[in-house]
Amino acid sequence: MGTFEFLLQGILIAAQPMNLLYALIGVTLGTAVGVLPGIGPALTVALLLPVTYKLDPAGSLIMFAGIYYGGMYGGSTTSILLNTPGESASVVTALEGNKMARAGRGGPALATAAIGSFVAGLIATLGLAFIAPFVVKFALSFGPREYFALMVLAFVTVSAAFGDSTLRGLTALFVGLGLAIIGIDQQTGQARLSFGIPDLLDGIEVTTLAVAMFAIGETLFVACQGDRIPDKVEAVKGSVWMSAQDWARSWKPWLRGTFIGFPIGAMPAGGADIASFLSYSTEKQFSRHKEEFGKGAIEGVAGPEAANNASAAGTLVPLLSLGLPTTATAAIMLAGFQQYGLQPGPLLFATNPQLVWGLIASLLIANFMLLVLNLPLIGLWVKLLTIPKPWLYAGILLFATLGTIGANPSVFELGMLLVFGLLGFAMRIFGYPIAPVVVGLILGPMAEQQLRRALAISQGDVTTLFMSPIAAVLFALAFLAVAVPLVLRARGKGEVLSQFAANED
Amino acid sequence: MKHFFLASLIAGAMALPALAADYTIIAPAGPGGGWDQTARSIQTVLQDEKISGSVQVVNVPGAGGTIGLAQFASQNSGNPNALIVGGYVMVGAILTNQSPVSLKDVTPIARLTGEYEAIVVPAASPIQNMEDLIKALKADPGAVSWAGGSAGGTDHITAGLIAKAAGVDPTKINYVAYAGGGEALAAILGNQVTAGISGYGEFEAQVKAGTLRLIAISSAERVEGIDAPTIKEGGLDVVVQNWRMIAAAPGLSAEQVTAINADIEKMVNSEGWKTILKTKGWQNTYLAGDAFKAQLDEDVAATESILKDIGLVK
Amino acid sequence: MSEVPSSHVPSSHGKRRPDRAALAIAPVLFILAGIIWWDAGRLAEMSNYSRIGPATVPHVVAIGLALLAIWTGFEAWRGDFPEREPIEVQPVVMIVAGLAGQMLLLKAAGFSIATGVLFALTAFGFGRRKLWISLPIGIVFSFVVYIIFGRFLQLSLPAGPLEHLFF
Repeated sequence: MGTFEFLLQGILIAAQPMNLLYALIGVTLGTAVGVLPGIGPALTVALLLPVTYKLDPAGSLIMFAGIYYGGMYGGSTTSILLNTPGESASVVTALEGNKMARAGRGGPALATAAIGSFVAGLIATLGLAFIAPFVVKFALSFGPREYFALMVLAFVTVSAAFGDSTLRGLTALFVGLGLAIIGIDQQTGQARLSFGIPDLLDGIEVTTLAVAMFAIGETLFVACQGDRIPDKVEAVKGSVWMSAQDWARSWKPWLRGTFIGFPIGAMPAGGADIASFLSYSTEKQFSRHKEEFGKGAIEGVAGPEAANNASAAGTLVPLLSLGLPTTATAAIMLAGFQQYGLQPGPLLFATNPQLVWGLIASLLIANFMLLVLNLPLIGLWVKLLTIPKPWLYAGILLFATLGTIGANPSVFELGMLLVFGLLGFAMRIFGYPIAPVVVGLILGPMAEQQLRRALAISQGDVTTLFMSPIAAVLFALAFLAVAVPLVLRARGKGEVLSQFAANED
Repeated sequence: MKHFFLASLIAGAMALPALAADYTIIAPAGPGGGWDQTARSIQTVLQDEKISGSVQVVNVPGAGGTIGLAQFASQNSGNPNALIVGGYVMVGAILTNQSPVSLKDVTPIARLTGEYEAIVVPAASPIQNMEDLIKALKADPGAVSWAGGSAGGTDHITAGLIAKAAGVDPTKINYVAYAGGGEALAAILGNQVTAGISGYGEFEAQVKAGTLRLIAISSAERVEGIDAPTIKEGGLDVVVQNWRMIAAAPGLSAEQVTAINADIEKMVNSEGWKTILKTKGWQNTYLAGDAFKAQLDEDVAATESILKDIGLVK
Repeated sequence: MSEVPSSHVPSSHGKRRPDRAALAIAPVLFILAGIIWWDAGRLAEMSNYSRIGPATVPHVVAIGLALLAIWTGFEAWRGDFPEREPIEVQPVVMIVAGLAGQMLLLKAAGFSIATGVLFALTAFGFGRRKLWISLPIGIVFSFVVYIIFGRFLQLSLPAGPLEHLFF
């Protein structure tokens, strides 16, 4: 049987009414748990996996696919509405999404996230079905030096999230890089910045930092403004739905996000967070509404959310075709597959086509169900903002700490949550951006380790970094990303300044 | 959603009736990892086989299990209902992290499962067998890059032991540490490094597909179902088993230890445990009592000496 | 929102006064840089083929932070930081007390009571002062969460007297 027939057969099975119901339940559970701040996709899948055990193989596989996509998607809702991303991949979604929500445009922001996730999930799942072998080849051609080049590119583009001050953006980034040093150095096994405290040996958990700086920092910041802000937010100004202009501004970011997210998700050291950072800065470069960035540009929600979901499907490429779990979520999924008798690996597509195509068909159905479930829910989610502040923020802190306690029920971890929450609060007061701290914590160790690996393999020869074509291209892109704006600024300075003058009058 | 709540209530209520000894098992790792899966498998079997009425799993992750170990040893002295899962990784972590609490501070019950280290090269590599690899290593240790898990872990220790046995200075090995098995595997498949070293399970699918060449395995004798010579056959006396164990609290009476031993033995011999080993692909290397204690002492001594040789422990 | 930064317009003309609170950030960054530098100094440079040891990146980060400290001091002196709105301290204290309370009570009192305290104190910080109403609500709500996540989904949440009463 050919690829198409297998897929068609899979879809026919997955589209049976009972299986559709399972998909819907899976998506609902995945979204419901994934939406809670502090509970990211990995924990969502780990928590809900046992729920699927009791069903027949087809049904459980479909419900499982639903949980996965639901969990990946769920994080964006609280990012947009409450500025409290529960995981690293939705940090950038909060940048623009929350600004939109505060301007009463939470509906369109959620809609572009949901439809973007659907479009990206659809294209990426089809990519998984048809071009997985090529994508895997490309991903494997990335060695330490290529990854290092990719990290350099990501670092350069991170400035897109700096906000209005280079000084404060850089400071936030360096605070993140400083935090990233904490823990055991992977290459030599030595403890750095741990001061003999065993709890620090594993470093700072990204989820803990993100939840603390965003959820707790935001809560404290809102609280300290006292009565100046109204008890309730005006949830909707204008339509809950996307306007024609919103559509026009969204579809290109969806596609770009997909094409960034899918391959990066497929890379063994890539991941949804890096894909979302790169997508955000790409959209800022391409947008015709640059001035809206930082104030609620819809492109800044559409792109990263699409990238985030496309990379969720991308992660499945090395998982299914090589048996490589590249993220914590994928590692848990691998355990899940094994109990369906699905042994991921290079032979999977050949030895077990029914199951693979069944899974891919389930993913397609789950992706569709995600849209069916979430579009009508937007109206309801937006109402979340009308919950009186005391109960809303009390609930946010409850769930934010729940996620941390569930992953590691230690007093020390909660203490870190409090300390970083206060740090996030202080940084907000002084106008520092928060996202670069998280970005520094994620990218710092990756860049360092990849550089040291690359140089160890070449026994200290630095030229090796530029000798691979892929690395050279990535370095060139990074150079252009720095140089082009500088040149443009130098040439257009007079123009911009006159515009400023004009605006002020 | 209402049914969801209801179902959860019922599920909670069904876990109620208490029969024999209740256990609380500490999994000194986060949810999803190997030790957590071991703890939860033990929980399932103890409950399903009615060996214990109610079993709770508590995750205390961090620092190679040493945080969980320290907390377990200090809070449960004399408590016959507390158990902890652990493994060989802990032996190394206790040494490299200079943990004040060691395996001497708990009561080891039994080794349950184990996995051997596999040494692989990319299929296209000119290295055909262990002898070729040793030759290359002796010629220029820097030119042989090894991909494996974090520095000081089981993979690094095995690489160090191989170098030492081959007469090469263990501090001179070019060991490239990767975060997880997956990332290291990608580096080997992508021809980025000379050789890879990790638990056999990480490589199994690739070896069977012919994209990696398995040149040696770290067991004492050949393992059924794995088509590879041992490192011993390659001329080096290196045997490493990455085992997982269960231990009880310190300060127990002989009767209490015997009772726990009996429960664990019953579990290991049950059908449920055998099924789980099969689905998870775990090797049964059950070893209890004094034999396990002697093996443990031997492992601790050997690990300490090689970590000193590599320079990770002073 | 009122977050439009005033330093955005490049026309401060040095009229603004030194921002004392912001000026305090500079020494903090400097101390941070010092700690990182000092810690990196005690790492053993092990024989390593990459020539980049475990101390290299900490050194780079420390230098970066030190430079940023100087820059921060300069901008703060010129008063280039965005203007801040007055802060109400009491709500912040209440919420921090709630988080600290949860942290300290968690092991002894269990998840529901500890988190109920956090819930009630957070609501207090936002103006719901009636603890005799919000505390029971918080504890009941946390207990429902405990049942779903701790019992049904097997998350290891610490149990206390309340949880032991039922399970």
